[in-house]
Amino acid sequence: MGLPALAAEADGELIARYLAGDEQAAGELVRRHTAALARYMAAQGAPAEELEDLTQEAFFKAFRALASFRGGASFRTWLLAIGGNVLRDGRRKWRRRQVVELSPEIRDPSGDPAEHADAGWTLERLEEGIGKLARLQREVFMLRAQQGLEYSEISTALGISEGAARVHYHHAVKRLMAWIQ
Amino acid sequence: MDPMNAETPDKLSAAVRALDARAAALSAQVSPDRVASRVLERLKREGAVEPRIWWMRPAALRAAAAVVLLVGAGWTVSAIRQHSVQTAARLPVSVRVDSLNAQQLEAVLQAAGEVRAANFAPVTSSNGSLDSLSEQQLQQVLASL
Repeated sequence: MGLPALAAEADGELIARYLAGDEQAAGELVRRHTAALARYMAAQGAPAEELEDLTQEAFFKAFRALASFRGGASFRTWLLAIGGNVLRDGRRKWRRRQVVELSPEIRDPSGDPAEHADAGWTLERLEEGIGKLARLQREVFMLRAQQGLEYSEISTALGISEGAARVHYHHAVKRLMAWIQ
Repeated sequence: MDPMNAETPDKLSAAVRALDARAAALSAQVSPDRVASRVLERLKREGAVEPRIWWMRPAALRAAAAVVLLVGAGWTVSAIRQHSVQTAARLPVSVRVDSLNAQQLEAVLQAAGEVRAANFAPVTSSNGSLDSLSEQQLQQVLASL
């Protein structure tokens, strides 16, 4: 789901303040959305060692283009779309991590080792599969599956129709299921 | 994160949740304060507004690309046509004229005439028949093609 209306309004006020020359407003926006943006980029395979640089780059591009932000989608969704573009450019420069480290949440030593191995394999395959999706399929899938956004918001952020967003999601699911089977 | 809905198979939902959990752990290492200060510093240094040079605007770039494509396509088509006409016109005549009868000669001349019809006057003799041309004259006609 998108942000609550109150937070979205607050973002709008911060944007207006920044456009009026208040730098602190920009700082507040960055602090508010850094975690979500970094999480979105990390889930798409951004290397840990470059995650902060990529996050910074996405914010920089967003602020420079802020005058063109129309408010059709929330600031966060718009920012995530910019993050997707930064990742697309970044993919040409960096290669996907060779070793997939499992987070403590996943690496539970109390369970069945075979299940852990299977979960690790599936996660690795999912990450590979996401990297192989077409750009729009990948972005629609991540915005929907990871961020939990509605199709209407995804379509506004990516500049596509709602129907197209649904189709991209459907194809992404189909391809990823084939990839992790 | 919103719970995955019915349109996503359970296995994929579970894998995405695991991926998201790992992404959350990685993103926790990114300092919002550090990112904020770096972004503000960069905005000061490089300017807060993206430079909008008119020819770098997407619409201008699209228009320029369309013009280049049109001119390129026109030039290519023109070059191909010119080349084919020249090639057809310069086909070596390796058949001995005296080995052809009048009907065959007319067929050859008619075929050649279709290629370069616009550039040649009708091939006729004084009495309108090829039979009246000498071998030398026929060779000259063929050579001129």
